[in-house]
Amino acid sequence: MTSGHWFWWGLTAACVVWYSTITVYVAIRGVMDIKDMLKRLDEKKAESETRAGSE
Amino acid sequence: MTHFSWLVDGSIVGVYLLATMVAGIMVRKYVGKVEHFLIAGREMNVYLGIASLAATEFGIVTCMYTAQNGYDFGFAGATPGILNALAMFFIGWTGFCIKPLRNAGVMTIPELFQKRYGARIRGASGVVIVLGGLLNMGVFLRMGGEFLVIVCGFDVKYLEVTMTALLLAVAIYTILGGMLSVLVTDFLQFVVMSLGLILVTILILMNIGWERLSEAVTLHYGAAGYNPFLNKKLGWEYVLFNLLLNSAAVLTWQTTIARVLAAKSAKTGQRVYTGTAFFFVCRFLIPGIWGIAALATLAPEVVGTETIRAMPMFLSTMVPVGLMGILVAAMLAADMSTDSSYMLTWGSVIYNDIMAPFRKTAWSEKKGLLWNRAIIALIGIFLLFYGLWYPLPKNLWDYLTVTGTIYLASMSVLLIACCYWKRANNWGAAGAIIFGAVIPVAYLVLQQIPATRDLANAVGPHRSGIAAFAIAAAAMMIGSLLKPGHTDTQTEVERQAMAGGAQ
Repeated sequence: MTSGHWFWWGLTAACVVWYSTITVYVAIRGVMDIKDMLKRLDEKKAESETRAGSE
Repeated sequence: MTHFSWLVDGSIVGVYLLATMVAGIMVRKYVGKVEHFLIAGREMNVYLGIASLAATEFGIVTCMYTAQNGYDFGFAGATPGILNALAMFFIGWTGFCIKPLRNAGVMTIPELFQKRYGARIRGASGVVIVLGGLLNMGVFLRMGGEFLVIVCGFDVKYLEVTMTALLLAVAIYTILGGMLSVLVTDFLQFVVMSLGLILVTILILMNIGWERLSEAVTLHYGAAGYNPFLNKKLGWEYVLFNLLLNSAAVLTWQTTIARVLAAKSAKTGQRVYTGTAFFFVCRFLIPGIWGIAALATLAPEVVGTETIRAMPMFLSTMVPVGLMGILVAAMLAADMSTDSSYMLTWGSVIYNDIMAPFRKTAWSEKKGLLWNRAIIALIGIFLLFYGLWYPLPKNLWDYLTVTGTIYLASMSVLLIACCYWKRANNWGAAGAIIFGAVIPVAYLVLQQIPATRDLANAVGPHRSGIAAFAIAAAAMMIGSLLKPGHTDTQTEVERQAMAGGAQ
């Protein structure tokens, strides 16, 4: 194989390995991010409603 | 004969569509303000950002043109992906432009420009961004429809119906939940899309094998199939233009930069960029491998001159029942995430920047949300009609890069100057916008007129693109230096950037 072959072979292998790994990791951490995001939005909403009620 | 089974594969696709719609519609209750609708209340964290950015920037259209690049140019066709990844990693790592942009606390890039260049430049930037973005997005629907028709073996008369149904589904959850729906559905779509991409690629590597793929590239293109500089159709112009284009896209492409603006902080936005960077290599190389597999297995007379159809033709007979359902769901996921995000983010520019003069007195949140939803619906209608009558260009990647350049050339120059050049002003900005848009538009027009088509083809999309970037930068410098009475003062953007700004 030429250096060009090796480069693209290595890059293809890296893509398959990296993408498989990152998908699992992001899938797990992403669920936590969604939960946190919706929780914070709920808290903000409750805060603004309390503020509006007291005014 | 396609391997698509309505019972097995259709059920997988149906479950995916149902789950997406339910998730997208459920989060609408969290939308109370325009800020929630457009930038998710700036509550997006790193991993959700990575999933959303990756899902948005990979649609069926991406898969089609990157596979076409693989079929037409071999591995060298994946070069733009490497350049894109390098640009994204560098910008994420250094915070170049995106840090001051996020710290300025704006919802769109033109809003930042108003602080430096004034309200007129903000409006003009909005128009250029929307024009370039919508022309670019105009081909998405038809391309997605063509893929599904070929892979699933639908009658071609169902293409329009398929496209309309897909767009309607996306429009419903985007109109209801805005960026929140986009983020949540993007996440789901990232997982489904990735599963399909990985499984099909592994299947190709196992069934066809690396040796046969590289043999096909060597046989058809020789060394030029591995090195873009050796390919006569690519060459240094292709590499340089794609470097400029991808760097500009990372800095200013509305759907990409929306993730930085929706991030919890500038640091989070930077981490989203560095974490997603390598995905852009996969984005070009994985479908590129699919295109090369089509090159290795299909006879040229079967494919014909429309090489964009080679990859779906190949997949329709190679992917087995079951995996076909995952593949179609993955491609639908890819397309829906792209469409929703594109509709939302270009809509955000129309509302936030083009309509800014009509909002001199503050609008209620209710009125703002209503307008944003109406704009997304109108964009959907535009896409439907534009996608139906506009003939698909032969080389899709070239069409996308030329239409993208309409705004990428000028907006990247404006952003860099806004953040780092104290003498930049509205004269320079106006010059950059005009010249940055005129060149790609002129190229597109010349290409359509029979008398000038040869001239346009002689110049080519890459040289005209490089010229657009160079002339936009020159116009910014000359215009800014020509304006009388300008003093070197620290701008509000710079002050906020230095201070850390609104997080």
